Amino acid sequence: MGHHSNWAEWIYIGVVIALMAWVGSEAWNAERLIEHIPADAEVIKVTGQQWFWTFEHEDGTKEIGELHVKVGKAYKFEITSKDVDHSFNIHDYVVLMDAVPGRINTVWFAPTDVGEFPIQCREYCGLIHYNMRGTLYVEDAST
Amino acid sequence: MVLELQKPRPIWQIMFSTHHTDVGLMYIITSVAFLFMGGVLALLIRAELFFPGSQIIADSMTFNRIFTVHGTTMIFLFLLPFAAGVGNYFVPIMIRYKDMAYPKLNAIAFWMIPPAATLIWLGFADFTWYATPPYSIISAPGPAADMWIFGLKILGVSSVLGAINFIVTILKCKHPDMSIGQVPLLAWSFLTSSLIVLVAIPTFAAALLMLLTDRLGVSGFFNPAKGGDPIAYQHLFWFTFHPEVYVLVIPAIGMMYEIIPRFSRKPIFSHSSGIFAFVLLSMVSFSSWAHHMYATGMSFTEKTVFMIGTLAAVPASAMHVFNFIATMWNGRIKFATPMMWAVGGIALFFSAGAGGVVNAAMPLDFQTHDSYWVVGHFHLFVMGTIAFGSIGFLYFMFPYVTGRMYNERMGQAHFVLSFVGTVLVFFTQHVLGLYGMPRRVFDYPPIPEWIAMNQIATVGSMVIGVGMAIFLINMIYSAGKGKISDTDDPFNLGGKYYWPYEAKNPHH
Amino acid sequence: MKSIIGLFLVLAILVIIPIVDYAFAAGDEPGHYVDRRVVIWNLFYRMMTVAFTVGAVVSGTIIWLCWRFRESHPKATPTPYEKEGVW
Repeated sequence: MGHHSNWAEWIYIGVVIALMAWVGSEAWNAERLIEHIPADAEVIKVTGQQWFWTFEHEDGTKEIGELHVKVGKAYKFEITSKDVDHSFNIHDYVVLMDAVPGRINTVWFAPTDVGEFPIQCREYCGLIHYNMRGTLYVEDAST
Repeated sequence: MVLELQKPRPIWQIMFSTHHTDVGLMYIITSVAFLFMGGVLALLIRAELFFPGSQIIADSMTFNRIFTVHGTTMIFLFLLPFAAGVGNYFVPIMIRYKDMAYPKLNAIAFWMIPPAATLIWLGFADFTWYATPPYSIISAPGPAADMWIFGLKILGVSSVLGAINFIVTILKCKHPDMSIGQVPLLAWSFLTSSLIVLVAIPTFAAALLMLLTDRLGVSGFFNPAKGGDPIAYQHLFWFTFHPEVYVLVIPAIGMMYEIIPRFSRKPIFSHSSGIFAFVLLSMVSFSSWAHHMYATGMSFTEKTVFMIGTLAAVPASAMHVFNFIATMWNGRIKFATPMMWAVGGIALFFSAGAGGVVNAAMPLDFQTHDSYWVVGHFHLFVMGTIAFGSIGFLYFMFPYVTGRMYNERMGQAHFVLSFVGTVLVFFTQHVLGLYGMPRRVFDYPPIPEWIAMNQIATVGSMVIGVGMAIFLINMIYSAGKGKISDTDDPFNLGGKYYWPYEAKNPHH
Repeated sequence: MKSIIGLFLVLAILVIIPIVDYAFAAGDEPGHYVDRRVVIWNLFYRMMTVAFTVGAVVSGTIIWLCWRFRESHPKATPTPYEKEGVW
């Protein structure tokens, strides 16, 4: 139908598609890097329930609302929930994974800085969702 | 054009009418009423978050109910009915038919909204607008949740009836002289969005029934304790409601397609690329639903597929922006209120889209998912683009419908306040999300950055609120007492009385 | 049309293939872990650079259009369609 020249629009669409291809490939690459779980990562079982987090280390020690890890080591979280959906989030380390009852979701990280970092729930889970918080303690490997 | 308010009729004649303009106006007035009701809830939410701790809302359950009803109201009782109202009013005029194809069905579809709205507002459920199981099955309290489910069920049927009506009207009742390619873009937007509704809604309708029986304890589709899968619900829900986003945005773009050429004093740059982009958008809308679910433990392959599906929607959206820019180019633009809203809407459309690309890029989702970034992002869409297009169109149709002119100064003040407010609230919320504030929280720890940004956002919401108050006064006052307008050319654009089917667009 | 296809081929070779290559070669050395913060924030900042550049171009264009083609601009002339009075 159009009798006017459309070359400008074609170039524009080409640029948009090229940009999206770039975004997609960069994202794909980054995702691939961070999804690759190191073989020597220590497993921590994370259980969310209304409205607190429970952590179980490989050696069987359990923690509630607090998680102690060593700096420079890799940890793999196996996340699940006892009641409703939660979302396990350590924002400072960009760790985020939903805790879904009946499923075990995994995400891994290797803390690099010693300190205390907040753990929170990012999926709506009811009355005290806003305060379903915990603390991550990253400790020196020697202690 | 019918001058609704110059020939006063008794209210019941309008209420029991099946004429498309009457039904259209009822849709529009109802939806704008819900805009204000939902807006009050939004102001409450923002006011509560001004300081950490509990101030004006007594407990978190009340807060959760408020944001649930706010979301449900704005999506299902404001945006969808508003678009349906505009479509009812203008589609028959544009395709040159005396009415919608099924006038009674049309009235029925409208009259399903008040009972549904009553259920939602009297119930005041708390499980967020997407009612995820298992929370919605085992934890959400009482009749509120069931009332919400029934309300949504009714609204779904209403949408489907409306969609059937639009599709039949446009395809079967258009004037024989008019080819499908000549159908104006606003009518095309209703055709494509109705097709999406028809394909998408039944999935959610099924999911709602399953959710209800799960709640009654007789089934366990989504209840892990009975062997069900809560993720299945999320797939079914987003299979409906990601396309639904396009059901909202496509008519808003159609409305901009009416406003922008008119006030630029030029025909649309490319009618055919507008149609192409609408059709493309309606198809790719089905390829991206699970980008809402990256964090539920999807595989790398799944995530890649849905990321590509999401990015595929960008070129089609960008074509619309190109069309708008090319239409304004070399025009002689009159910045009356509707044009301001439309141009503001395009500007914010870009920001919303860019935020969407970030969400879709898989690893970045772990920063933004379920944080205030997402809240800011989709509000830029629903408020910044869709509501801007809709409100602009409301100003645009006002003189045609009432025969009176709204107050231009107040209209422009409304635009400026809304634009500034939208930028203040929703851009700030993006940053807030990057600082890690989760969404749907009643209270937050007193981190200085969080407090500062929440306060900026709250101030912004009040700026929008002031604008909306001006809007309300303007509409009510001008409808009765405004200056009598020239119905042929209310905006003094110089052209003749114009409706799209009369236009001599040299390009077709 | 052909030149556009050619352009995309060149783009594909220049941009996509090295990235894919790099991705498959990415390291597996024991004890040396990828820092997800670095990877993700790095990606974020690169995308923001592009987004803000494109955003500046798009909004700049829109602002310029609004300024240049407003009817009160000194150089504003009636569009060809105005003479017929319909558009």
